[in-house]
Amino acid sequence: MTPQLLINGISLGSVYALIAVGFALIFNILKFSNFSHGGLMSVTAYIGYVACVFLGHYIKDLPLFVVTLVAAALGGGLLALVVERVAFRRLRNSNSSVIYYFISSITMGILMENSITIFASSNFYSYPSFFPASVIRFGALSVAIPDLLTFLFSAAALVILLVVLFRTKIGLAIRSTSFDTSTAKLMGMDPNRVVAATFFASGVLGGVAGVFLGINYTLYPQLGQLIVKGFVASVIGGLGSISGALIGAVLLGVVEIFLIGLVGAGWSPVVIFVIMLVFLLLRPRGISGVIVQEKA
Amino acid sequence: MEYIASTLTFTGIALIGVLGVYMVTGLTGLFSFGQAAFLAIGAYVSAVLFKNLGFPLPLAALVAMLVGLAAGLLVGLPTVRLRRDYISLVTFGFGEAIIAVLNNTANITGGAMGLSGVPQRTSFLLVLASVIVCVAIVVSYKNSKYGRQCLALRNDELAAKSMGINVERLKLVTFLIASVMTSFAGVLYVFYTTYVEPGAFGWVISAEWMIIVFVGGVNSLTGAVVATVLLTGLPEFLRFASEWRIAIYCIIVLLILNFRPSGIFGEHEISLRFLRRLFRKGDSAE
Repeated sequence: MTPQLLINGISLGSVYALIAVGFALIFNILKFSNFSHGGLMSVTAYIGYVACVFLGHYIKDLPLFVVTLVAAALGGGLLALVVERVAFRRLRNSNSSVIYYFISSITMGILMENSITIFASSNFYSYPSFFPASVIRFGALSVAIPDLLTFLFSAAALVILLVVLFRTKIGLAIRSTSFDTSTAKLMGMDPNRVVAATFFASGVLGGVAGVFLGINYTLYPQLGQLIVKGFVASVIGGLGSISGALIGAVLLGVVEIFLIGLVGAGWSPVVIFVIMLVFLLLRPRGISGVIVQEKA
Repeated sequence: MEYIASTLTFTGIALIGVLGVYMVTGLTGLFSFGQAAFLAIGAYVSAVLFKNLGFPLPLAALVAMLVGLAAGLLVGLPTVRLRRDYISLVTFGFGEAIIAVLNNTANITGGAMGLSGVPQRTSFLLVLASVIVCVAIVVSYKNSKYGRQCLALRNDELAAKSMGINVERLKLVTFLIASVMTSFAGVLYVFYTTYVEPGAFGWVISAEWMIIVFVGGVNSLTGAVVATVLLTGLPEFLRFASEWRIAIYCIIVLLILNFRPSGIFGEHEISLRFLRRLFRKGDSAE
């Protein structure tokens, strides 16, 4: 029973990891919490749905699923580029105070969520079931196929991201710009391009996460509010740390699955909130232990 | 007439919430997504005490505000020591947790069905008086030593700290005043609508209040008041496509942020001195 829950938790946690890492990427480079990420996930969930309905006539099952994911990921990446251009480019160029970034991201998030409400809220949509709901047995353990695929695809997206971050030139540029923007600029990196690339990567992760959220729940405009899971994971893992976000998200997924068994789905947000508060009191730096200082 | 009075009453209640956000966001530069949750606390605690336990209304209101204060402490204490991002993230979780509590205590709060049958006790005059008192509190806070410290903290926390300002205490006190004020708005709200449901207290409400503060101007109380009246009062009267309302606000805010980042009123206040200076300028120009 318990290892079974552990596996379900890790699968859920991998979706949370997509959210938390997408959030941490932007936090790293611009040093603010990007609240528009939730709205972006709502929109990409619908983009994925549209792609899935249109292409559903030609392909089925696994290929359809992959195409849906790719469509949502690309849509998310492009949308994030638009968000960066509309909401943050001018703020960055005029060196605005961080509170303007906050308000801009909040506004952008609400705008995206609200556009969905205006254009799509009158009907309920839900993704078709891509795979038969059967299980694979590993000895005594049985893993549901949707859970397994969720885990595999999330993990693949994260691994690709890590490879890009740590093995490519643009990844190096992103990492050095998050470390120190002005020095990176002096070294000849174009901050606009680097920031745009970061937003694209974050949007791709948000897009994949949006599809999984849409599959797990139904499609509704406020779907993106599940970004709160990403926040909790980031707080537990340590704000702005990619590895911390990964660990925090998987932990959160496991804890949540156990809590649902223990106290029910209704009370689990309350318990998770309390855990987060206790964590902040005891170890405010998060698991990773890096603390992002305000710039002097 | 009745309709105008009810619109004005709702505008007044929203204004009290916006004043709380103004203190936290406009003055201090913290972003709280939990203000609507404090509204919920005020509404539910007072309504349940009054309806189920037979508390007299003033006592119920007082207890509701105290519960709001305690909740503010719970959220504020761990977060004020940290970067300001934490208060946004934690209040977001707080809002979600409060809604979950309301949904899961159906035998007391009515759960998702909502709490109905609360008698109507709030009148327009009561709301007007409350608004005046709250504006007076915020004005005197802004003009006091603490208000100026808040501004310093908002612009540069490190510099404020090195000038000897106790930033942690300052953040906590401002956050608590706003929490209590918003809980009070919740009391007024429930005893006016006579019905509340958890769905009405999502983070979008909190975010909408922040947007209102920013449309008015980052640090202008006058701006916040004018923006509240314009953005919550006018649409009720005009009744123009209500679902587009929020989208239009967002576009306005994005335009303002891109082209006039200090908001409509910027840092200006309408006061006697300001008016006098305006006239004097006219004189010298002649």
